[in-house]
Amino acid sequence: MDTLLQVLLDGILNGMLYALVAVGLCLIWGVMDVINFAHGEYVMIAMYVTYWLGFLANVDPLISMFAGGLFIFILGALTYRLIIKYTIGKPPLSALLATFGLAMLLKNLCLNQFTPNFRILSDTWLGDKTFQLGALIVPLPQLVTAIVALVVVGLTYYMVRSTRFGWAVQATAMDKEAAELMGINTERIYLLVFGIGGATVGLAGGIMPTYLAVHPEVGTMFSLIAFICVAMGGFGSIPGALVAAILIGVVEALGGYYIAPVFKYVAVFGLYLAVVFLRPKGIFGW
Amino acid sequence: MVHCKSRMTICLLIAVAVTLMLGVAPATTLAQEKVIKIGTIFPLTGPVALAGQRCKAAVETAVEILNNKHPNIKVPLADKKGWLAGYKFVLVHTDSQGKPDVGKAEAERLINQEGVWALIGAYNSSVSMPASMVAERAKKIFMCGASSSAALTQRPDMKYFFRTASTDEVESHEFVEVLKWLNKTQKNANVKTLGLIYENSVFGKHAAEEAKKAAAAGGFTVVADVPFTPGATNLDSEVQTVKSKNPDALFGAVLGADYALMVKTMKKMNWIPKVSLNYCSGYQDPVIAKQLGPDADFFMGSTGYSPEFAGMMPAVAEVEKIFKTKTNNVPYDSDSIQETIAMLVLAQAIEKAKSLDPEVVAKTLYANTWPSPLSLSGKVAFAPGGQNKLALSIVTQLQGGKYKRIFPTEKADTKPIFPMKAWDKR
Amino acid sequence: MVTPMHHGALKRKDLFWLALVALMALVPAVSAITANSFLMHVLILILLFASMAQAWNIIGGYGGQTSFGHSVFFGIGAYGAGMAVVTYGLSPWPGIGVGMLAAATVAVLISYPCFKLSGHYFAIATFAVVEIFNRMFLVWYWVGGALGLDYPMVEEGFKNLMWYDSKTGYYYCALVLFVLIFGIVRFLEGHRFGYYLRAVREGQETAESLGVNSTAVKLTAMALSAALAGLCGAFFVQYNLRVDPGMVMSLDMSMKFVLVTILGGAGTLAGPLLGAAVLIPLQEYTRALWGGLGGGVDLIVFGVLIIVIVVKQPAGISGIVRDIAKRFRRPADAKGGTSVGTA
Repeated sequence: MDTLLQVLLDGILNGMLYALVAVGLCLIWGVMDVINFAHGEYVMIAMYVTYWLGFLANVDPLISMFAGGLFIFILGALTYRLIIKYTIGKPPLSALLATFGLAMLLKNLCLNQFTPNFRILSDTWLGDKTFQLGALIVPLPQLVTAIVALVVVGLTYYMVRSTRFGWAVQATAMDKEAAELMGINTERIYLLVFGIGGATVGLAGGIMPTYLAVHPEVGTMFSLIAFICVAMGGFGSIPGALVAAILIGVVEALGGYYIAPVFKYVAVFGLYLAVVFLRPKGIFGW
Repeated sequence: MVHCKSRMTICLLIAVAVTLMLGVAPATTLAQEKVIKIGTIFPLTGPVALAGQRCKAAVETAVEILNNKHPNIKVPLADKKGWLAGYKFVLVHTDSQGKPDVGKAEAERLINQEGVWALIGAYNSSVSMPASMVAERAKKIFMCGASSSAALTQRPDMKYFFRTASTDEVESHEFVEVLKWLNKTQKNANVKTLGLIYENSVFGKHAAEEAKKAAAAGGFTVVADVPFTPGATNLDSEVQTVKSKNPDALFGAVLGADYALMVKTMKKMNWIPKVSLNYCSGYQDPVIAKQLGPDADFFMGSTGYSPEFAGMMPAVAEVEKIFKTKTNNVPYDSDSIQETIAMLVLAQAIEKAKSLDPEVVAKTLYANTWPSPLSLSGKVAFAPGGQNKLALSIVTQLQGGKYKRIFPTEKADTKPIFPMKAWDKR
Repeated sequence: MVTPMHHGALKRKDLFWLALVALMALVPAVSAITANSFLMHVLILILLFASMAQAWNIIGGYGGQTSFGHSVFFGIGAYGAGMAVVTYGLSPWPGIGVGMLAAATVAVLISYPCFKLSGHYFAIATFAVVEIFNRMFLVWYWVGGALGLDYPMVEEGFKNLMWYDSKTGYYYCALVLFVLIFGIVRFLEGHRFGYYLRAVREGQETAESLGVNSTAVKLTAMALSAALAGLCGAFFVQYNLRVDPGMVMSLDMSMKFVLVTILGGAGTLAGPLLGAAVLIPLQEYTRALWGGLGGGVDLIVFGVLIIVIVVKQPAGISGIVRDIAKRFRRPADAKGGTSVGTA
């Protein structure tokens, strides 16, 4: 019983991290219908940002994750300006292919510049700290990540739902031409959406060096899981992505422990197939 | 406007294509006669790029020693400039990306286009396999430093394949010997059960199979058999599974970042076995050990080299200085030093054979025992199939961030700390 | 937009293709080319990936179903041949047959539920399928698991579909593969089935209202596409003499098929060949040139070039070629089947 609870807790906490990684993808995907293949590389770069700030200037990831967020905001906006902009209205796979090229570029650029060394940030504020809750072991870094995730997901959702900017975003997502006729600068909306989507991933990547080693390949699996989260939740649905991410974390943990660890991702991908076969537009899709 | 743009694009593409084709036209332009080209195949990009880049630096180190006069380096052939009446080595590097098909294509290109005389590679066992077949058919010598799969040297008809590192088979038996020795010498050791955690790849799978055989032969029961997918986002279920079976000993074949994650997850879950032994992997990477700090302590593993062995292997220090200039000050690890050894032994064989006929050199390689100050045993000799039968590795334990030798006892410098200290008692 | 007149009997365009094939058949006669085994390697890969991309093109381009799952079918074909040779010590031929059948069967079983999904949901579902198959094959003892299958040295020749010293044999096999798959697609372009397929792509409801059974059409196209992908996979393993799940059943592989087709121009006959003819030499020669530097420079350049091509010319390389051809042809003739389809 204790083990089950522990497995569930670990699963939920990991799920929250997935949610934090996925929410930006969800926003971009929902508004612009663009698959950003370089999403995992955003995570990786943000990790490098906080790692270097921690290593060179001794800034804790809890603070420097905001720098990571800002950095990826800029990177996201640049991605839009230089690449995505030219693929909008073109064949649907163009953006995916271009970002695939971008992912390749970013990954190998980091390999080239930072060497493939695995880098671990030691002595962070949260690093390796745990506390007991009954028989449960609660890891502090993951718990804080989960809280950050809830806050970020909540803020993003609030922004889209209840601010003037959010309404403009929704209008743009529904019908770009109509939104333009209403006087919305859709170009600016797209730019900001890509930036904000990037910023949330930047926060996720920024906090991760507390417990994960940084290296150029680190983002690959995260981006795959983020794709699954977003699709399972229903494209563009932020609460959907959150629920899906937690579900994925739990299924991964349960499958990994009660079936076999090698099957944990099989369980996750199988879960996605099962969900969309039942609900072809995802959990919250319509 | 559209025409103009697309014309420019196509012109650009053609220009690039032409430049590339010209650039890689058969390169037989090297006018100097006294040059021997050696091709290297390592995973310079991709998930194991780190190991591949260190191996590349290791081969470069060997060639620098061979080509120049280094009287202060006590390694055969270092004291003269060039060798075999003034020949020099030239290296041609390639990137296998860790993919067998790419490695095979690069092996063919090295042999047919670059005209290399021999190959060194390929780190990944899965790449060494097809790449060495290419070399074998072309009758070129393939020196393999650090691929650990025992199957590579179990191909009796291979005449040009040589491996200097020890295999996972040898290491597995050594690990089991360590467990027996601990049971004998430590009070209340009582190690009976064994857990395996390994990445589900050629490397990990081979290691695990050999471990199971060795464990069965040694009378230990494997209670947890946990393969995992390399590059995972977390290792929670893996470590939880091992923890719930609570084996006395844990064998790990876990590379790089996954090793760090495994150690951190064990700490998070507040579990530790009595003893943990690791195949040459994340454990013996000095950078990871340093970054993990005290958390890395008390783990054990097989080590072919570490800077703490300097007392036993006085020749390494000077060689390592050159190596460090190429790796940003990272010292040798067990894998990369084997690539230097492989290159040095090959040069010695050429010198001894006084011939550049690969067949003669291959026979010479088999026929002799080679002095190798960089090897733990100090010597290299090859058994049929190409395995270095004198390959040794020592079981070390990390104590206070240093690799301390604990087994075999005649080579040991420290007593083991057993059982491993619990996380909260460090 | 595609009028039957364009795709009927033998046309001038086909003569061009026939001339191209004849020219390619003569390539090994030039000793300057056969002497350069790396060039032969690149040519073989171009033919292989053009064929593979064309197989994908049937369902992905003409059918408009963006499948990222084709590396699974490619892999099943590869394992068919590999197991026949390594596990059972047979000639690869029966394995190739079984592999193609298995690939088609698996494709139909997977696609039947997946075709109910639209757009991105379908694409992501095929992602998931690749990952699931990859993991299953990694632990499946019968197929060699993570260790993969290494070919023994057997007699070279057509019976074993294996050559060691010369690449000419492989080259002709790749050419046959190319002619076969391009021939099938060319035939489909003019055949009723091809029209149904494109009709389904352009609008499933409309197609159904005209009496096309869209599910049957898509499933047939998928089965054909998968069987041909399996054939390509079998050739790939015969060429590399080793197979493991990471080599064949990976998202990287799937992406490559899609990339080649889209860059060339999806839903066109020439697209896959154009894409492969540009992308494969780029990949191979950049690696040969800069891979040894060790900093991933080749992959950086490759990434940048992909971005540049897509951003500058999203209709693919065939778009560029068409723009140029337009200047030489009458305007009415210049508009071919241009729509790049996805769901």
